[in-house]
Parts: sequence; structure tokens; C-alpha cells
Amino acid sequence: MTAGLAVALPPDVERQLENLAPAEVAVSVPTYNNAATISKVVAAIRAGLEKYFEGVPAVLINTDAGSSDGTTERVGEAALPLVRAIHPAPPGQLAAVPFHGIPGRGASIQLSLGIARHLGARALVVLEADAVSIDDEWLERLVRPVLEPGADLVLPVHARHRYDGTMTNLVLAPLVGALFGRRLHQPFAGARAMSARLLDRLAEAPWPPPGRSETDLWLTGTAIAEDFAVREARLGPWRVESNTRATDLPTMVAQTLGAVFSLMDGYEELWRRPAADVPTPSEGAAAPPPGDPARVDVERMLRAFQRGLSDLGTIWEQVLAPETWGDVLSLESGDPARFHFPDELWARAVYDFAVGHHHHVVYHDHLLRSFVPLYLGRTAAFVLATRARDAAAAEAALDATAAAFEEQKPYLVDRW
Amino acid sequence: MARPAALDWYKDAVFYEVHVKAFMDGNGDGVGDFAGLTERLDYVQELGVDCLWILPMYPSPLRDDGYDIADFYGIHPSYGTVQDFQKFLDAAHARGLRVIADLVMNHTSDQHPWFQASRSGPSSGYADYYVWSPTDHRFPDARVIFVDTEKSNWTLDPARGAYYWHRFFSHQPDLNYDNPAVRRAMLDVMRFWLDRGLDGFRCDAVPYLVEREGTNCENLPETHAILKEFRAVIDREYGGARVLLAEANQWPEDVRPYFGDGDEFHMAFNFPLMPRLYLGLRLEDSRPITDIFTQMPPIPPACQWGLFLRNHDELTLEMVTNEERAFMYYAYARERDMKLNLGIRRRLAPLLDNDRRRVELLNCLLLTLPGSPIIYYGDEIGMGDNVLLGDRNGVRTPMQWSRDRNAGFSKADPDALYLPVIADPVYGYEAVNVAAQMPQPSSLLNVMRQLLAARRTSSVFGRGTIEFLRPRNSRVLAYLRRLEDETLLIVANLSAAPQPVELDLVAFAGVAPTEMLGGTTFPPIGRGPYFLSLGPHGFYWFRLEHPGDGDRPYGIEGTPI
Repeated sequence: MTAGLAVALPPDVERQLENLAPAEVAVSVPTYNNAATISKVVAAIRAGLEKYFEGVPAVLINTDAGSSDGTTERVGEAALPLVRAIHPAPPGQLAAVPFHGIPGRGASIQLSLGIARHLGARALVVLEADAVSIDDEWLERLVRPVLEPGADLVLPVHARHRYDGTMTNLVLAPLVGALFGRRLHQPFAGARAMSARLLDRLAEAPWPPPGRSETDLWLTGTAIAEDFAVREARLGPWRVESNTRATDLPTMVAQTLGAVFSLMDGYEELWRRPAADVPTPSEGAAAPPPGDPARVDVERMLRAFQRGLSDLGTIWEQVLAPETWGDVLSLESGDPARFHFPDELWARAVYDFAVGHHHHVVYHDHLLRSFVPLYLGRTAAFVLATRARDAAAAEAALDATAAAFEEQKPYLVDRW
Repeated sequence: MARPAALDWYKDAVFYEVHVKAFMDGNGDGVGDFAGLTERLDYVQELGVDCLWILPMYPSPLRDDGYDIADFYGIHPSYGTVQDFQKFLDAAHARGLRVIADLVMNHTSDQHPWFQASRSGPSSGYADYYVWSPTDHRFPDARVIFVDTEKSNWTLDPARGAYYWHRFFSHQPDLNYDNPAVRRAMLDVMRFWLDRGLDGFRCDAVPYLVEREGTNCENLPETHAILKEFRAVIDREYGGARVLLAEANQWPEDVRPYFGDGDEFHMAFNFPLMPRLYLGLRLEDSRPITDIFTQMPPIPPACQWGLFLRNHDELTLEMVTNEERAFMYYAYARERDMKLNLGIRRRLAPLLDNDRRRVELLNCLLLTLPGSPIIYYGDEIGMGDNVLLGDRNGVRTPMQWSRDRNAGFSKADPDALYLPVIADPVYGYEAVNVAAQMPQPSSLLNVMRQLLAARRTSSVFGRGTIEFLRPRNSRVLAYLRRLEDETLLIVANLSAAPQPVELDLVAFAGVAPTEMLGGTTFPPIGRGPYFLSLGPHGFYWFRLEHPGDGDRPYGIEGTPI
């Protein structure tokens, strides 16, 4: 079973595995100080297994980054076969936990993968310990496509209000989509299900350094590049209750965009192919978006963009190509009625940042954080263009953005 | 760098005051010039300032360092030509830097052709360009400003056989602003330079334009009327983005009228604050600083104070009480040569015994109190002075670029320099120079760049209100700066010993202050006093943002990913 596994399992994990029967479904919950929410998540897992996978042998895997609040003890309440594993985490990430909530998430995923393969699991599903909106149906929708042969990787698409997930919708999804040649709604979602076939392949692949945050993205990219069957599963709203995750906007932007850029640096073969407009098949019916949308303050976003122009001009000038910089400067941000941020310019700006990151034109963290006001400007333009229109129009606007990233990809490849 | 072309750009700007003769010698004759200054614009830009203030650049006999102008339409031959000036100005603008220049409105040199013509008698076309009198008894209530050198404001001119009026040196006759021809002539002078693209003027000695019997001849309504007239013409003809900065060394209530209703000067120097910063530091007491703000009148929204620690003149003590002045002399100028007129002729670093912590602390206050800071060239590297050079020359020595000959300032024979470079072991160019400090991350130059960069991140510094917190430990100065929903907290330890302080920040309960220079987040503010401890002369710049601010402001932060 363990043939080809790149990393050996720790001895204490090996000992736990000796006493466990093989499992068809492995459910992994990476944790780091999630005592407040873990019980709810584990209960949903148990309910989902009982309701949808009765009689299917299952195991719960809890990888932990070093919780000190009793999280791992609570995982035991589930009364499911359980494997516990502690993994190392970079001290910096323990102090300031990344957006996904797990210091050393790469190591965590790698451990889960090793354990699932050891137990002969046909499906490994990774869930988030602080996603309190989970219900028993999530497990069904993520795992079923893998167990009923056809899917190798299933990613969630959560029901969201149109102005939720703007970083994903306007930056990460179009960028990742153009890179991998596949449209994905939420490439940074923390949950996912994987087939044994994909796990076997990943076990032999060159993983990103375990301390960084691009592991999930690398995993997705590898699956797409090697023609594994990638699907999306429509789930309900995504709501997180966490005391540890980074929640300030600049940090989240820097970490997520930084993860894409790091992946681009390390795995050129995954993304240099021409872009293609391939939608991802999805499972399940779309759930209605959650209640009240946030009140979006466009004027404030525009002010942040203008302040960026004056305060960060020296950085943007170095990062952006001269034409891009000139075009950004000539945007009419002073007048909301006339402010428009063309998709084609937006795609070039994001690609310029990727190239600037690649060539180290500015210290990486400064480069990534300086992106925030630009993103706020683009977001303001999106809100202005869609707030008086229906949901279909908002979807169409996002499709146009994705198309612009695909069209401009040769620009990226040229400048790289 | 492209910057938004706001008309009130001066409210966010940091100014850098420089002598052309002292900055860089481009032609190797021993005197700095516009060609040299142009060469060094990269340095100015990288320092992180926004606007250069050029000291008098006009042809002059230089008996008062160029404040005795002999031709308003030229450039002093030692500094180059009007073409050289134009090249410099264009190069500065290309870097996003603005430039203002000194203009002496009150008087000219006695060498100026207007005065020479005026001397010839009442029949000359320029007869009324200056203030003439058959006696020296008029305007007896006007004080003598340069008490060390002048006995009277009147001097007899043998050629015309009459006395002429001068508020400063006797070789600087005052122009007669009651004469409409003089007002027209001065406006033409301003147009000449504004047409070339100059961003404004620092107007020298403005309180003295008009004289009236029975008054002290300072700050007269007639003077204000003339200044308003000039401002209106410049706004009308140049679109409103050219700035006028007043040098009015007066008490705050007397300076206030120079702003008018926002229709006179855009800016004026804050003379009273500056000595009190030194006083507060030396007394280790925040009260001299907080007290002066209670006397500071509000100014129109479009106006701005100009703040400075040092400039090309002596540290002026006219704006302190006699008791305070005695203490300042005691504390900062123990050698007799260091006193001049009612001031102290020293640079920033030697005034503070070359104590890096105090130099940084005063610069912290300069950059965070309300107003636009003005940095005097060389103070950003901690240059010293030479009190033996006479008058105010001790603080006007060549910029110290490197440890090369003449401090890298000039290729001339050292004897040909307009003033010798500072060469003492502590402040000399071999120890204190740009080239040595540039690569050293902890150098004063790089700390200044860091502070200036932090200041650029918020318009609160230039535009926000100020509110003093008055903690029980008066050795600690603490104030809030606010603009719209942005709040900064500045805390500074005026003492040479570490100090604890309890701040009443209950209004910000729940906020975790973020230190702006290092980016560290401090523990959240609770319902009780907020405790901080500060090292000797230490300071913090905090950004106070409610945790709610992160969700409320844009409405997209909840789930961006």
C-alpha cells in the first residue's frame, strides 16, 4: 500500500495504523486550536457518514499543527475509527496563521494522503475544522462522485452573494483558470475530495515545500495537467468561525495571491500551456445565497484606490509595465459615475504583478500588499457595473473577466 | 512618480530647504550651482521629500546671503543662468518634485538699480520706490530687529541727502509699497518666475511692507491688503496650485491674519512651536509643547503651518518669554559665540549634543505635529556647524556627500570653497556623509527615509486634527491625530530615562494599535488605562483602527476568498 509514498509516516502514526482495519472513505480534518468549532464539524461528518455511507468503512484523520486548546481531545468524541497525527509547522505561521487556518497545511495534507493510502481508501476528503456552516450533505456531495467512479478531484462551490468572494471572483479564479486552462469557481476552497488514483499519482510527485500555502493549488493544477477528472460540487454557504485565521484584507490578499505566484515560480510546466475555456462539470443543485448581503462601500474603495495611486505609485511604477501603469493612471477614479476598469487592463495588471514577483522587482511582501488598493479599485468597478443589474448580469461580468485573463495569457508568457 | 495634482498639494508635502551654493558644485569653482543641484535631484527624491525650497538665487552682493537682491530677474552668476535654473526646474518636475523659491518682497540690495536711481533725487522715475525721509524721527515705535549690528531703522544717504528706511541691514532699503508702481513691479517679478513653472514663493519678511506713523509698522492692515491683492492675481493667472509661504516671525495671534480667510498666504511658518520643542526636550516636560497649542488659533481649511526644527537662520528665540530664553541659552548655547541676535546659530545635531535618540525624537515630532515639515539640508545626515564662521554662515557650509576631497561637494581647490567644509572629528565630512550612511540601514539618513515613508502612508499627518492626551507622566507627550475615520496615536518620551505611561484610550476599547514603523500589532485597548513603556527618547506611531473598521469600510472583507 505504501509503495511510492514520498514521505514516510511518523512512527506513532504507523503504530496507530497497525490496529486499524482498511477504510474506503478517509475523512481528514486538519486542526489548529479549533476547540470552539471542531465538535460541530465532527458531528456533521458522523451524521453524513451514517446517512449517506451506511456500511462503508470509514476513518477519521486528524492532523494537528500543535493545538493547545484541547481540540484533538474533542475530535475523539466522534466515536469513529481515528488516526491522529501531529505535523510540524513554521513558527511564523503558528504566530500568524495563514488564511486557510492551518500552519504548515502542506505537511498536513501530505500526512493525510499517506494515511489514506496506507488504509487503502478509495476516497480522501479534506474538510475544515472551523467551517461551521457544514451539514451532512457536504460529505455526500464531495465524496459520492469519487466513489461512483468518474471523479478524481472534487472541489466545492459554495453558495455566495455576488459581492462575497471578490478576491476569488475577480483575481484568483480568473488567474488560476487561465493558468490551468480550466474554469474553477473557488480554487482556494479549503475542502476537497480525491480519488485513490489521484492520491497514488500525487505520492510520486514533487510537492511544494511543506511550510507554504500553495499545496492545494498545486494539487489541483497537477490533477488538471495530468487529465484527472476534476469536478465541482455545489454546497451551501461557507461560514467560518475562527480565532486563528488571518482575517485582515491585505494579509489574505498577500497570502492567496502569493500562493498563486509561488506556484507559478515553482511549477512552470503546470501553467505555460495555452489557456483554454474549459468549464468544470459540477454536481448538485445550486443553493440559494445566504441572507443579507454586506453593504458595499464603493466610495471608500475608490478612495483607497486613489490613495494607492499616490502612496504606492513608486512601487506600482516598478511592478507594472509602462503601458499598464499609464493606463491605470488614466482611469477616472474621481467620478464613480464614470469609473470603469477594463478587464483587459485588469488582466495585464495582475500578470504584471506575477512577473514582478517572479523577477523580484520589489520585496515580495511589499509587492503583494501593494496590490490591495488596485484590487479594491477593480472591485469598486465591478460593483458599480453590476449593482443595478440582476444576478445573471453579474455572472456574465465575471465570465468576461475570466475570458480576458485567458486572452491575455500570451502577454504573461511573453513577459515571463 | 505621478502624484495627484491637488491644488492643496502643500498640505501633504514635506519641504526640503536648500542653498544652491551649498548643495553641489557642478562647475568646480567652489560654489554650488544649479547644474550641481540638478545632478543631486535623485538623492532628494529618494529621501522622500516633495518640494524643494531654494534660498535666494538672484544676483546679489551677498552681504546678507542673497537676501539683498540686486536683480529680481536673474540668477546669481555663481549659481548659473536662468537657463540652468530652467533645466533644474524641469528635471525636478520630471521626478515629481516641486520647487518654491525665496523672494524678498520687503527690500532690495542697495546695489539694485531701482535704489541707485532712487538715490539721485525726487525727480527720478524711481524716486518713490523706497521710503525716504528728511529726518530719522519718523516711525519711532518700530523696533530695531538686528540689534547686534544696527542702531536705527533710518540711514542717511549722502547722495540724496535724505534718510532711507530699512527694517533690516542698512544696505537693505525697504521698498515703498504705498507706491502702486512698486506693487506692479513686484507682481511682474513673480509672474516672470511662475511663467517658468516655479511652484511658489517663500516670501521673506512680509510683516514689514507698509509703514504708518504711530504704529510699530508690523502686520498693518495695509500690508495685508497688498498681500491679498498679490494672492488674488496669482490664483487668477496661474490656476490656484502655486503656493505662497509667509515668513512672519510673530506670535501666533499676529501670524493668523496672514492666512486671511484663506485668501492671503497658503502657508506660514510656525515660529512659536519650534523653540518649545527644544524646551520640552531639555526640560523633559511635555507642557511647553502642549501649552503653545492652546494659544494656536485655528486657521482656514485650505491653509497650513510650516514646521521646522532648524533653518538657515539662527534658531530664533523671539517667540519665547525672557525666562524661557534664558533657559534656552543656558541649555543649548553655553559658548558665547553660539548666540546671535535673539537666537542660537547651531545645526540640529550639535544642538542636541549629537544624541541620535534626541535627533530622531525631534524629527518624529516634526513629522507628526500638525503642519507641513521643512527639513534643512544636511540635518537628515546629522551635519554639524562651525560657529567660528561668523553671522549665520556656520550652518550654511557645503553638503557632505562623501569622504572625498571637499566632502565630495566640489572639485575646486579647498581654498576656493565659498565656506570651508566641516572638518572636526565628530561632525566632519569624513565621519558624517551621505555615501557612508546610504548603505547603512541604521544610519540617520535611512531612519529619516523610513520616517518620511511612513508619513506618506497617511494624509492624517498633513490634514488631521490634533488632540493631546495629557497623561499623568508629563515626560511623555501623547496625541491623537484624526481625519475622517482614520486615527493615529503618537507617543513620545521626552526624557532620557525609560518612562511608563498610562493613556486614557477608552474611546478606542477593542482596538489593537498597529505600530506604523515596524508594523507590529500591540495588545488591544481595554476599558482601563492603556499602559505603554518607552525607552529613552523613544516614540511610537500607532494606527488605531476599530476591529469593526475592517468589516464596515468596504463591505467585502468578510469573505474575500
